[in-house]
Amino acid sequence: MTPVLECINLTHYYGKRKIYENLSFKVPHGRILGLLGKNGTGKTTTINILSGYLKPRSGECRIFGENTDNISPATRRRIGLLLEGHVQYQFMNICQIEKFYSAFYPGQWRKEAFYELMNKLKVAPRQPISRMSNGQRSQVALGLILAQNPDLLILDDFSLGLDPGYRRLFSDYLRDYARAEEKTVFLTSHIIQDMERLIDDCIIMDYGRILTQQPVKTLLGSLRRYTCRVPEGYTPQLPEELCHPNVTRGVMDFCSFLSMEKVEQILAEKTVSYSGLTAEKMNLEDAFIGLTGKY
Amino acid sequence: MIQAIFYKEWIKLHRYVLLALAVTVAMTGYCMLRIDRAMELNGAAHIWEVMVMKDAIFIDSLEYVPLIAGILAALVQFMPEMQRKCLKLTLHLPCPQKKMLFTMSGTGALLLLLCFAANFALMLGYLGSVLPRELVCNILSAAAPWYLAGLAAYLLTSWICLEPTWKMRIFNILVAALIIRVYFLGSAPKAYNGFLPWLTLYTLALSLLSWISVVRFKAGRQD
Amino acid sequence: MTRISKIFLCLTLAILAIWQLPWCYAFLNTKAAPNRFIMYSSLLNDFIITGYEEGKGFIRQDVAGNLYTEEAVDSLLPMFYMRQLVADEAFPDTLFGVAVSPLEVQRTSFNLRIRPSAVNGPETRLYFLLESMPKRVDLQMPEDAFRFTDTGIEFIIMETNSVDAAKSGRFTQVLRDKGFAFPPRKVSGNPTTMKEYDNGYLLIDANGNVFHLKQTAGQPYVKALSLPENVEARHIFLTEFRDRRLLGFLTDTRNRCFAILSDGSMTETGIPSYNPETDNFTIIGNMFDMTVRISSPDATHYYGLSADDYSLLKSYEPASESGTHIPGLSFTSPYDRHVRPRF
Repeated sequence: MTPVLECINLTHYYGKRKIYENLSFKVPHGRILGLLGKNGTGKTTTINILSGYLKPRSGECRIFGENTDNISPATRRRIGLLLEGHVQYQFMNICQIEKFYSAFYPGQWRKEAFYELMNKLKVAPRQPISRMSNGQRSQVALGLILAQNPDLLILDDFSLGLDPGYRRLFSDYLRDYARAEEKTVFLTSHIIQDMERLIDDCIIMDYGRILTQQPVKTLLGSLRRYTCRVPEGYTPQLPEELCHPNVTRGVMDFCSFLSMEKVEQILAEKTVSYSGLTAEKMNLEDAFIGLTGKY
Repeated sequence: MIQAIFYKEWIKLHRYVLLALAVTVAMTGYCMLRIDRAMELNGAAHIWEVMVMKDAIFIDSLEYVPLIAGILAALVQFMPEMQRKCLKLTLHLPCPQKKMLFTMSGTGALLLLLCFAANFALMLGYLGSVLPRELVCNILSAAAPWYLAGLAAYLLTSWICLEPTWKMRIFNILVAALIIRVYFLGSAPKAYNGFLPWLTLYTLALSLLSWISVVRFKAGRQD
Repeated sequence: MTRISKIFLCLTLAILAIWQLPWCYAFLNTKAAPNRFIMYSSLLNDFIITGYEEGKGFIRQDVAGNLYTEEAVDSLLPMFYMRQLVADEAFPDTLFGVAVSPLEVQRTSFNLRIRPSAVNGPETRLYFLLESMPKRVDLQMPEDAFRFTDTGIEFIIMETNSVDAAKSGRFTQVLRDKGFAFPPRKVSGNPTTMKEYDNGYLLIDANGNVFHLKQTAGQPYVKALSLPENVEARHIFLTEFRDRRLLGFLTDTRNRCFAILSDGSMTETGIPSYNPETDNFTIIGNMFDMTVRISSPDATHYYGLSADDYSLLKSYEPASESGTHIPGLSFTSPYDRHVRPRF
């Protein structure tokens, strides 16, 4: 089956600054894929290319088999788009915005889904969106996407500017909806909390490249945090497989996909005088920091 | 679908359109009142003579009113679209993007023209009763390029507003200023009469320019 | 659509460039044209040129280059500098054997300027017909205005903005009776009270025939004027000079210029060519001669004419001083008041 969303050899630069080169990934039907990365790693760039608002330097993206350069209205009907910061028409109130959007999605618009969510917000029906809080605005944007009932959801950094309650609310709603209706979701985030509950697959990006791309379960099942004691004043010089080693008061930690034996072997090769090597599983946030580093 | 686009533009524009209507009609009314007062004080004959011999039109204070009305209409309509790139939402709607854009600018232009038509109706109604058709024609023909400039200013400002980069926006402003100059080159009544149909066609064609801005927006042009 | 839009933008930029660049060039490179005054002197039988010349200062000379003092110029152009000569007590009693007095000079001197922009319009086509034999000494503006329609003349009472059917009918009838074909091609008059007398209007009718229309004691006065052989009237100008010798000037399709005398007869003037649509026309006249300046787009000509029969006495064409002209687009023109693109 053709993937719902596919990027092939995507390369983009802003002027001379490389964002990434030859980025390729696929999102199959019914999966929730999270593009995770620190700020400035090209998450929004990818979303812009996917939604047809940026021409990549080279490579292409396809959604439902159509090049994102020029997506037909019929295909756009099947895509729900959430812009960074939950941007919506500030000059409308929730009644107006619902009335406006519904006209574009005859036959698929689910008015009740929108108002169900809106009823939980304590906003007056005539209150303009410009006078809502970030959290309220995110619910309006989410409500509109749920009412649109698209087959593919593209969400740009939905966690931006949300306090934990709204973030949790947003991700729970989204997960239930996507799971129940077999929707495909592509989202980006720089806040990893709550992601574990939401996404099936993840792509973790660093500046200019992909660090890893795999199902979250596989990732968390294979990535380990290793800790050991090292002599005072030791400066780690380790190969890339042992990511972002960090020494604090004689304790070194790093993370790696390698097994305990393999790690011991590398440390021995590098003649590191360590002791008490332990390995532990991590949650997604720790894994993310472990792979991308703290800085 | 077109109704929905109209609905959105109306939400943005309705307050402004009512205000513009009130202000332009008030200014036009003021000009008519001045003519009325002048006729009462100096006699109709004197006013006729001044209009024939000195090309006076008595509505000089309206010269830049439609221009300002046009610029503001476009700003009121398209600034909210560019605020935090809301235009992305608009262009993502399942409606052909050209249809979307031209319905949007068509709505704005239509509302602006209705406002202008009210001005003309007021002038025609009053002037027709006190002046012969030659002098009514003098006044309206002098006003015609100003009102056309209002429409042009609206379309050019949309082009400038929708342009994604500031560098290009400044270039566009310079080009627009030169284009607008063409509408203010002659103050003699009927000076534009032969050229006006062509200028009108050109003005309508200016609506094409905002599509260039949208294409640039879609390509993700940045400063 | 994208391509059409881009082509449209490029066209617009090209038009703006060919409009603005030559204008900028001209704006930056324009030098003040030497401002010279040239008059024909019957006493000298030559033109006298006065004005500033670069490097030389203020000069007074004839065409041959002979220099004159200020006083000499005054007495060579006694009609023009009459007031100065009177003040210097140097005004002659006779000239060419004719007795002259300052009063006589004042009565017979005239000047007239006709610009192409006034000829080429646009026009309002609404006119005022004064009473040419007013009961009071001063002329008065009428209470009505008039227009020509395809079938007649229509007087509109200004206070009420309504047509005076009776007067319109009267004038239309007389015009028709005299063979006038509506609507006229050209209408020329000076509807102002700032003149000594009123001569109404000179008209060229739809068939190219020339008529004189005025209002005397409220009644229409219409006279058909006969054109010389093989003359097709093109433009007509009513003069109303103080000496009442002339009714006006007429040009024909071959750019010949005729003087229309007060009796309605026409005499061809010695001006070789005058096209009112493109040339600026200035005439300064007195009881002995006239200086006519015709400045066309490419040259300026001066003609000295005899006041007796309008024959050419002498002509002069100063060297053209127009700088290099950059071709380009412009919307306005010194030759008319229309706004339209022209190359």
